[in-house]
Amino acid sequence: MRELAEDRNVEDIIREETDLDYHALNAMLNLYDEDGRIQFERDKQAARQYFLQHVNNNTVFFHNLKEKLDYLVEKDYYEPEVLEQYSFDFIEQLSTRAYDQKFRFQTFLGAFKFYTSYTLKTFDGKRYLERFEDRVVMVALFLARGDETLATQLVDEIIAGRFQPATPTFLNAGKKQRGELVSCFLLRIEDNMESIGRSINSALQLSKRGGGVAFALTNIRESGAPIKKIENQSSGVIPVMKLLEDSFSYANQLGARQGAGAVYLHAHHPDIYKFLDTKRENADEKIRIKTLSLGVVIPDITFELAKRNEDMYLFSPYDVERVYGVPFSDINVTEKYTELVDNAAIKKKKINAREFFQTLAEIQFESGYPYVMFEDTVNRANPIDGKIIMSNLCSEILQVSEPSKYDDDLGYDVVGKDISCNLGSLNIALTMDSSNFGQTIETAIRGLTAVAETSNIQSVPSIARGNDMSHAIGLGQMNLHGYLAREHIYYGSDEGLDFTNMYFYTVAYHCVRASMEIAKERGETFAGFERSKYATGEYFDKYTDEVWQPRTARVTELFSEAGVHIPTQDDWRELKAQVAEHGIYNQNLQAVPPTGSISYINNSTSSIHPVASKIEIRKEGKVGRVYYPAPFMDNDNLEYYQDAYEIGYEKIIDTYAEATKHVDQGLSLTLFFMDTATTRDINKAQIYAWRKGIKTIYYIRLRQLALQGTEVDGCVSCML
Amino acid sequence: MENLTLASHVDAINWNRVVDPIDDEVWDRLTGNFWLPEKVPLSNDIQSWATLTDDEKTLTMRVFTGLTLLDTIQGTVGAISLIPDAVTPHEEAVLTNIAFMESVHAKSYSSIFSTLCSTKEIDEAFRWSRENKYLQSKADIILSYYRGDDPFKRKVASTLLESFLFYSGFYLPMYWSAHAKLTNTADLIRLIIRDEAVHGYYIGYKYQKGLESQSEERKQELKDYTMNLMFELYENEVAYTHDLYDSVGLSEDCKMFLHYNANKALMNLGYEAMFPKEVTQVNPAILAALSPGSDENHDFFSGSGSSYVIGKAENTEDDDWDF
Repeated sequence: MRELAEDRNVEDIIREETDLDYHALNAMLNLYDEDGRIQFERDKQAARQYFLQHVNNNTVFFHNLKEKLDYLVEKDYYEPEVLEQYSFDFIEQLSTRAYDQKFRFQTFLGAFKFYTSYTLKTFDGKRYLERFEDRVVMVALFLARGDETLATQLVDEIIAGRFQPATPTFLNAGKKQRGELVSCFLLRIEDNMESIGRSINSALQLSKRGGGVAFALTNIRESGAPIKKIENQSSGVIPVMKLLEDSFSYANQLGARQGAGAVYLHAHHPDIYKFLDTKRENADEKIRIKTLSLGVVIPDITFELAKRNEDMYLFSPYDVERVYGVPFSDINVTEKYTELVDNAAIKKKKINAREFFQTLAEIQFESGYPYVMFEDTVNRANPIDGKIIMSNLCSEILQVSEPSKYDDDLGYDVVGKDISCNLGSLNIALTMDSSNFGQTIETAIRGLTAVAETSNIQSVPSIARGNDMSHAIGLGQMNLHGYLAREHIYYGSDEGLDFTNMYFYTVAYHCVRASMEIAKERGETFAGFERSKYATGEYFDKYTDEVWQPRTARVTELFSEAGVHIPTQDDWRELKAQVAEHGIYNQNLQAVPPTGSISYINNSTSSIHPVASKIEIRKEGKVGRVYYPAPFMDNDNLEYYQDAYEIGYEKIIDTYAEATKHVDQGLSLTLFFMDTATTRDINKAQIYAWRKGIKTIYYIRLRQLALQGTEVDGCVSCML
Repeated sequence: MENLTLASHVDAINWNRVVDPIDDEVWDRLTGNFWLPEKVPLSNDIQSWATLTDDEKTLTMRVFTGLTLLDTIQGTVGAISLIPDAVTPHEEAVLTNIAFMESVHAKSYSSIFSTLCSTKEIDEAFRWSRENKYLQSKADIILSYYRGDDPFKRKVASTLLESFLFYSGFYLPMYWSAHAKLTNTADLIRLIIRDEAVHGYYIGYKYQKGLESQSEERKQELKDYTMNLMFELYENEVAYTHDLYDSVGLSEDCKMFLHYNANKALMNLGYEAMFPKEVTQVNPAILAALSPGSDENHDFFSGSGSSYVIGKAENTEDDDWDF
């Protein structure tokens, strides 16, 4: 009875008349009430007021669907080609199906984010033309390409919140005036002016179309290297970074989001310190890099040298390319280290290896950068023939590439293979609730594959070629912490790790199975399948040789209650045989992105991280400063929402290590420290991550508590 | 012109013998928080700036020139005038840091101007600040106490400046940021707030510490003085607020914020609050936007936020590399 009374009370608060605007109501989420409780109901009230005060008044009204679609096509808002693939009756049925699900945004931020950043607006940007259901239907119609069954499945998965396409897909699909649907691009830069020039051009073209772009700078000759044999001519990687940074800020995707880029450099490149110093607090304006993200590629040998407290040699990419006839990035530095050191034809510099790691940590303290990619770990786990030399803006894409060669007229002599990846994520909690786990994953894989097949980035031929050859996709995951908390399991506990392992294990099985099904239907695999570990069967060894089962009773129970079948060794043997016969269609299948915006819309915790705070403060250009409560959280289960700073790096790394075993690409892993940490603590975490087989590290984030006496009274995020 | 008196004797500062641990703690905090305006990608706000109406732009520039003036006072006169009163050498060191950072703040506003506005507009805004009587009177009141000969009164004036007078100006960028405008500018202002919060706290703390050894009579005198000064400043501040914010209808909301901060300033000095709860109901969006902690989650499209600090370097040991 008491509970009922309280519920009604909450409902009353949500429906209460108020003078406060929705921003103020939302902000109350970050302030305790008089009894020290978090005011969750104020956020729901904010969401309601947002519709009453803003959305409903600014939505264009249509009498029926027919009138609406005709108008949107006629006025160039929708692509007629998307709708023409279906009968009107079917579209109407699908739309009704979506609306029947009675979708409601669970948080203010979810609704606010959707209407500010995703929905279709009139060209003057003032009025809304779509509700959430309309966007979902349009995305499904676009991706299914005339296949009514797939369109229906996609609507079901997306509207229920199990599958959420990444921002570029969800934002753009079906709109006539739009950017690309692909999330991420990765390009190599080779050591010549044609390649550098092409890169600037690619940065502009790809930013214009949306998506982040990452470049590998490893092959660019170091500062002081000769040009046309004249010594001390090259100015190294910094000016190239400056050019790229300016290119990204110039181009943005129809104002929807700013161009964003990352650059990766190998730890043994002679400019490595200069590269890191661009992010120093006191860096000179001429070399300071503000908006470009940095990443460092670290091979095993660097750790070995630091362990022995030795110097590490940095090698001139210019000389290496001349000696070996291949770009520096394609050399295995760990394997060839002694050989490189001993070769007098290769110019080198030395720095102390431990000092290098310490410098890395100092810069991470000041700026959160650089990202780190553990080169040898990544390549050992890579099932595809070739070498992975870089990652991307969010450090979850790990794919092989090939260099391009250019003619004198700046055309292509050889079109290389560069990387694009389109992403989408599953909500772990809701996917576990799915009545058909395997089908949910298969639908997601088919949706993502459609993005790869409909993309053709002609302005960057090496990207277009890579996409045609590989049909690479990245299925991600989010809401792990939300799920664990809902089930009253602590993040990083033994049960938490056990679940993560079994969940990703099961997902991996269905990803490969779905991709095999597509290959079988099409009679086509990705290019180079026959040279992959899928073809040789090596990929399957660990699944067919070992038994994978939950080791805790609780996790066994979770899977059996959810009716999710855990694949057996026989299932894997069967799959292995089918893959050997039909191949698989997608060169890459999984990648776990950080999921910012889409996890708010989807009411998830980000990625497989712990929450950064019980009430998260979210700031970005389009939405300003907004507050977001963790999903499934109420004043009675707060203990399961320990934040990432409280949880500490070891449990986070342990959790990621469980998932990493089953993910063919990477996972964005952010590490969280209190500002009382030192560079040594960060170094220890890096060593721990590397030992645990982690592939990449994304941001380092720091929390500084307000000095006692200066905090804002009653502020949730300051005190928890 | 007052006579310049330099210390006749100086001992070498020994940080291994810290008398007051708060000096050490605040020094670490302030140096860890060191920043320069160049780190914030203000140019990302250019588009957002263009969406403001002319009235809003004028208001914003006036607010920032007002803040520039206060920071200039604090950097060139205020913090420095406190140095001769310092009890410990470490306090002197902290005050020099405060003085320097105030100059960084003053320069930051110029970074905002040069990014968003034309020279003519900037000059116009500075002219306004020279001619606005409320702003000038606020500066005059504070300066007169800095020039006076009572070290306690100097500290009170300084604390009220740091913890109260700045906030009529800080209100606006916080308001913009809550409405998704000028968010990078707000980041920069939040860095300033982060510093000012520590400055106000520290000077207030030193005041209270000094007060301990004073007679009851003297204590009462200083308390009366503080309340009177607060009232004088408050009246002027209310007029200033109306002058600025009436054109956009935000005066009443901003006044709540003034009351809230007036109370905080008094608390920093160890006194009870002056304004009752009903008139300190700050708009939650502003209050929450203030939080000097750094739990903000920003995406990579939006710059580095206001959360990073200079780290402590520590060598790794052989044990760390035991794998």
